[in-house]
Amino acid sequence: MSSLKYESQLREPLVKGSKDYHQITEDIVQPIEIKPGKLWYIGFYIAVTLLLFGVWSIYNDVVYGIGQWNLNKTVGWGWDITNFVWWVGIGHAGTLISAILLLFRQGWRTGVNRAAEAMTIFAVMCAGQFPIWHMGRVWNAFFVLPYPNTRGSLWPNFDSPLLWDVFAISTYFTVSVLFWYTGLLPDFATIRDRAKTKLRKLLYGIASFGWTGSTKHWQRHEALSLVLAGLSTPLVLSVHTIVSFDFATSVIPGWHTTIFPPYFVAGAVFSGFAMVNSLLIIVRKMMNLQDYVTIGHIEAMNKVIVLTGSIVGIAYLSELFVAWYSDNRYEGYEFFYNRANLYSSLGWSYWGMIACNVLSPQIFWFRKMRRNLFVTFFMSIIVNIGMWFERFVIIVASIYRDYIPSAWSVYYHPTVWEIGFYCGTFGLFFTCFFLFSKYFPVIAIAEIKSIAKVSGDNFKWSDKTTEIEQLEPEAFAHEYAH
Amino acid sequence: MANNKHWQSFGERKQTKGFQDANKNEFREELLPFEDVKGGFLNAPTPRRDFLKYLGFSTAAAAIAAGCETPVRRVMPYVNKPEDIIPGVANYYATTYVEDGEVISVLAKVRDGRPIKIEGNDLSPITKGGTSARAQASVVELYNTARLRFPTIDTKEVTYEAIDKAILSELAGPVAILTSSVTSPTTLEIINSFIAKFPGSRHVTYDAYSYQGILEANSTTYGKRVIPSYKFENAKIIVGIGADFLGTWVSPVEFSYQYSKNRKIDEKNPVMSKHYQFESILTPTGASADERILHAPSETGKVVAALLSAVNGQSASGISDKKLLDGINKVAKDLIANKGQALVVSGSNDVNVQILVNALNEAIGSYGKTIDWSSVYNTRQGNDADFAQLVNDMNAGSVKSLLVFGANPAYTWYDSKKFIDGLKKVPTTISFADKNDETAQICKYVLPNHHYLESWGDAEPKTGYFSLLQPTINPLFKTRQWQDSLLKWSGNATTYEDYLINYWTAKIGGGVTGWEKALQSGVINPAAEVAAVAVPFNGAAVQTALSKILSASSNIELVLYQKIAIGEGQGASNPFLQEMPDPISRATWDNYIMISPALAKEMLGIDLTNEGQTDNYEVNVMKEVLKLTAPNGQSIELPYLIIPGTHAKTVGIAVGYGRTDKIGKAAIGSGQNAYPLATFVNNALQFTQGGIKLEKTGKTYKVAQTQVHGTYSSVIGGKREEVIKELSLPAFVKDPKQILEGREEELKDFGGIDHFVKQGTIYPYYDKPGVHWGMSIDMNACNGCGACVVACNIENNVPIVGKDEVARFHDMHWLRIDRYYSGDLENPNVTFMPMLCQHCDNAPCENVCPVNATQHSQEGLNQMIYNRCIGTRYCANNCPYKVRRFNWADYTGADSFPNNQDQVAVGKLDASVHDMNEELSRMVLNPDVTVRSRGVMEKCSFCAQRLQDGKLKAKKESRPLKSGENDEWDVKVACQQACPSDCITFGNSNDTKSAVSASRHDNPLRLFHSLEQLHTLPNVNYLAKVRNTDIEVEEVYNAG
Repeated sequence: MSSLKYESQLREPLVKGSKDYHQITEDIVQPIEIKPGKLWYIGFYIAVTLLLFGVWSIYNDVVYGIGQWNLNKTVGWGWDITNFVWWVGIGHAGTLISAILLLFRQGWRTGVNRAAEAMTIFAVMCAGQFPIWHMGRVWNAFFVLPYPNTRGSLWPNFDSPLLWDVFAISTYFTVSVLFWYTGLLPDFATIRDRAKTKLRKLLYGIASFGWTGSTKHWQRHEALSLVLAGLSTPLVLSVHTIVSFDFATSVIPGWHTTIFPPYFVAGAVFSGFAMVNSLLIIVRKMMNLQDYVTIGHIEAMNKVIVLTGSIVGIAYLSELFVAWYSDNRYEGYEFFYNRANLYSSLGWSYWGMIACNVLSPQIFWFRKMRRNLFVTFFMSIIVNIGMWFERFVIIVASIYRDYIPSAWSVYYHPTVWEIGFYCGTFGLFFTCFFLFSKYFPVIAIAEIKSIAKVSGDNFKWSDKTTEIEQLEPEAFAHEYAH
Repeated sequence: MANNKHWQSFGERKQTKGFQDANKNEFREELLPFEDVKGGFLNAPTPRRDFLKYLGFSTAAAAIAAGCETPVRRVMPYVNKPEDIIPGVANYYATTYVEDGEVISVLAKVRDGRPIKIEGNDLSPITKGGTSARAQASVVELYNTARLRFPTIDTKEVTYEAIDKAILSELAGPVAILTSSVTSPTTLEIINSFIAKFPGSRHVTYDAYSYQGILEANSTTYGKRVIPSYKFENAKIIVGIGADFLGTWVSPVEFSYQYSKNRKIDEKNPVMSKHYQFESILTPTGASADERILHAPSETGKVVAALLSAVNGQSASGISDKKLLDGINKVAKDLIANKGQALVVSGSNDVNVQILVNALNEAIGSYGKTIDWSSVYNTRQGNDADFAQLVNDMNAGSVKSLLVFGANPAYTWYDSKKFIDGLKKVPTTISFADKNDETAQICKYVLPNHHYLESWGDAEPKTGYFSLLQPTINPLFKTRQWQDSLLKWSGNATTYEDYLINYWTAKIGGGVTGWEKALQSGVINPAAEVAAVAVPFNGAAVQTALSKILSASSNIELVLYQKIAIGEGQGASNPFLQEMPDPISRATWDNYIMISPALAKEMLGIDLTNEGQTDNYEVNVMKEVLKLTAPNGQSIELPYLIIPGTHAKTVGIAVGYGRTDKIGKAAIGSGQNAYPLATFVNNALQFTQGGIKLEKTGKTYKVAQTQVHGTYSSVIGGKREEVIKELSLPAFVKDPKQILEGREEELKDFGGIDHFVKQGTIYPYYDKPGVHWGMSIDMNACNGCGACVVACNIENNVPIVGKDEVARFHDMHWLRIDRYYSGDLENPNVTFMPMLCQHCDNAPCENVCPVNATQHSQEGLNQMIYNRCIGTRYCANNCPYKVRRFNWADYTGADSFPNNQDQVAVGKLDASVHDMNEELSRMVLNPDVTVRSRGVMEKCSFCAQRLQDGKLKAKKESRPLKSGENDEWDVKVACQQACPSDCITFGNSNDTKSAVSASRHDNPLRLFHSLEQLHTLPNVNYLAKVRNTDIEVEEVYNAG
């Protein structure tokens, strides 16, 4: 792939600090080989605590029933499905970065794709918890799997969007994991080769599947990566499209709308990139990777955020327009009374969503803001809050007042176990992420090396000019030419 | 030849010893290997083979003992099959629901020896097969864990021999027998003969919710202290003045049926009765009225007087309120125009008001037409004056023995302290209460009476109309019918059963057969319908009454009313009645102060026209508590609910609440006792009074409502005509096709009504041959009484979830009666809509279930497969009617998880939920219906078990199923059976002769499906509500 790269004389380097290949390996693998810092331990323990709280919350839900949550006869889905959609949305950025940007030859992605993919996988794991544990009889969850059985055979209902979800999410998860792991193989081999302890050698040896770095391996690796990228690309679009079908195919005003698939995908990319931003800003600082995850990366992602945020904004406006233009009184009520009316019971969530998702990202039209770490971090959190509101608005604000006024229920606020479950998924996510950052190369070593030398001579080794000029040609070749 | 015995061997022929031994051991089973061991099992030398046997046996035994410890479930087969019991087949016994003054002829459905359901008795000319919510729920009382289980002396258990001996030695005249209204002729005979034994004794009848006013008025003007029969079916103009005759007044089940006759309209010739209701608080009757006119409670007398003078051709005077005056003049005009076809009833307990009402009815010629003196009610005989005298006598020490049956003055009397003090001065106090009620708690002797389903008896609710009681189950506890006690104590050796049988066998004639026939039908009716008669009216008292009517009060006034479910307090121990939402407030488990929107705005600053504020008020289940103080200093602290349709200066509180767990777990924490707020004026209890002071307390209290949103339309959502349709009679006469055309317009993009089924979808159409179940609900006849709701609950094992869970919107009712307001906020039109699963032929719930747990049957049923359900709740979300109910917790104990009902932090289950899981309470469960476990969805099944039963019945007789053809029914669903106004019709809609087809065919102009435009294709249709009023209400939407 690197053969296709065009070396621009003017472009800023994607990897700063004129790293040589050895230095890159050192920078990325070293954190794995040494004991983690205090900060890592603190973070990890907090994450595990949250995870345990989540487990306890789920335990209550399973033993005593869904009545442990404040869902009710009118609002059948609340925080559970809101969180599900939210996490799935976050799980979009990784694959987008690794697959679509790979196909579009966006070299900058290599600095962030490993972490973003990891985030995707963990986010999908978190998302998966909700549809599972929100079932009234979770011990029968396997009923959704289509397998020949002794009940008839009794198949699941292929008409149900929930079943499509099962397929969409599981496929997405599988392909994402495979893609991620394929990328990890050469890097695991690198760690294995550097390993100084037997255990590490053994474990990374197993994990690297006997990678030798032969040309044949590389050839197959590249081919497989491309195939998986090709597979993942439609999945990025399909997963959230299918999640949106949970709502779009129903009869509920506010759910039943054709705009949902593109709107959901844009929203997913939007929240995914925001989450990547929040994570990477922490990771690059914590693991000292500023040279690999540069301000340039942050800026690129901020551009995506302002783009998708605006798409989402247009979607919101279209919804309002269609509600007015269609003259459908149920939709009119839903959008203008339930949502856009600040004084209605859940009006705050709609305006929270507009403020977080549409208005505040506009700040990224300014380059200075795009390149400001503090602003970016703050905004990445705001965007994710906004996207949570969006899902909450769509789900709860639609069903709490739909067709039959007698059934209207404004009684919905989460119980401690609903909040606990949500916190628990944060625990799961960060536990996984901390383990990942400790044991896995957080930047794709092999891939980033491919872009280490793409920028122009103006920037190349600019800080090492004197040193290089003094070197003998043999020594230069020895140091810099592998 | 016949005696030839063929021997098989010589041994057999000779019967040798060897043969006999061999014969004996031939089929001997070797159960255990060590049976033959001689000299004791432990001392036996163990051969190698035996050792292996022992080893095998003991290993297996140990494994079984250790590994398979299953809980002991007592399932015992009959040794001899009892006569009349076929396991799995229900028997129906005719009996009578009697509770205090209330008498309803019923059939008890008995499965395997247990009564599990009450059905109306079609043979009764009074109820015509209708029932009430309380009658439906009464079967649960049989299995109430709070029932007294044995006789006690000073709360210590004794035997009947001992208690009889103690009482006989102590019983001394003068005796007072205190009862609620007794309708049983045999019981009255027994009481009278008992009284005769003790000179100076008396029988005092006391009704908690007193009818003293009307009884005394009739006594004054007609010389009879009784309530005559009313014939609402003969009235074209019905005027109710504070009488909740469809809910609680005198004989609501009977009146509902009569009333509904003129409310269901023939579309070809649309006429209906016109019902005006003057009232101060919104009652179900007022909600059903065509025009409601508000007045303050203290104005009742003036209203009646004004009506009387207007009817007599003078001008109505003394009324300052313009709306009220206009209403009176309008009503008077209609009354004059319909003399002989009109009826005025009043719920006032003021004798003067009732005298004026009698005069009014005389003036419009009601007697002999809409009021019938040929038969009078025995159900309300209570005499407040007699009772007050008794209380005084008790306090004076002149009552030596007091026997209490039915009445519970320690709770219901306005001055209960005085009654309790008096009771303590009576040396011998005996209670026959079946639960440890407030009066039984202070009586020395308690001899619990049978539940009516365990009892023999009779009742005469109206003169000439008899209804019989027979036991449907052996007494569960050591209880005894109180008539038996009276007979025993008056020295009569016969049992009450024999007494009753002798009495009736003699009376009916025809010997045992005659009696058994009567018992089988449960009712004994007059040979022919007696024509209505009038009796001479003594008008002398009218002028006096006119002069005595009270002047109006300017303060806030209070009305104490009865709720349909709880009544005087009889329903308080019954969880099904506590959980039945009030038709108006839709609140459960509590009483509260009903205040008007105007008062709420003025006093509390809540403006119901401001949608933001309305939302806030509705969202919060914690309602503000007000302190209400009466002029005499009595006060009560209760939360308030804003009820549109309450008179601006009036507040209402339901009686019957505030009881303790002694009468049942259901009563724990339910409301406050409002009886002390009644007053005693002119020897009659008054349930209204003025001069009320209301104060904020700053406290809050949880009120569990099943429906919080009252307004049907909204600022932006507009008028949602697709959910309910209603119009006025003049509008209907003028443009009868407007509903039809409206539907046509709505569906015109999809081929109109005729082609909507096929063109409203992209999917192919399939024929639906065979049986196709359908239901037709006439909204004109529904008055929201809730009998169907309770019937459905009990038929289908719908769990009780308790107040806390209802407050979390977790109520499980499969059938609910939605209440909608429209028009004027201060005096809205109210529409009731029974809402249940619509069994859509194109059901949104069905295609979204990932596991096929809800499916459409060939017969049009939307079926739930509980076993398959994994509980994603998607179906409930996608149901436009919101009729699906999820088992949020293990309400029924059907779940296999142990200890899953002891949640603490969230969703703690109320005591009443646990109480319904007791082995005793569970006896009421219908064995034909699955008890759902936690985590599954459920909803109306159209009583699938009944449909199956009906189909089998038809199949066994090799004929098509009958559902209403010539009024022959193979199957009636529970709600339909229970409905006193026959507003629910159910049957095979593919059968053109079925009642449901007829209902649809005959009412094309009013027929509609709720939310039809969604193409859900419901199998339930409604007939639009028609209100006989010329007042057209324009909806006014005020943006908040």
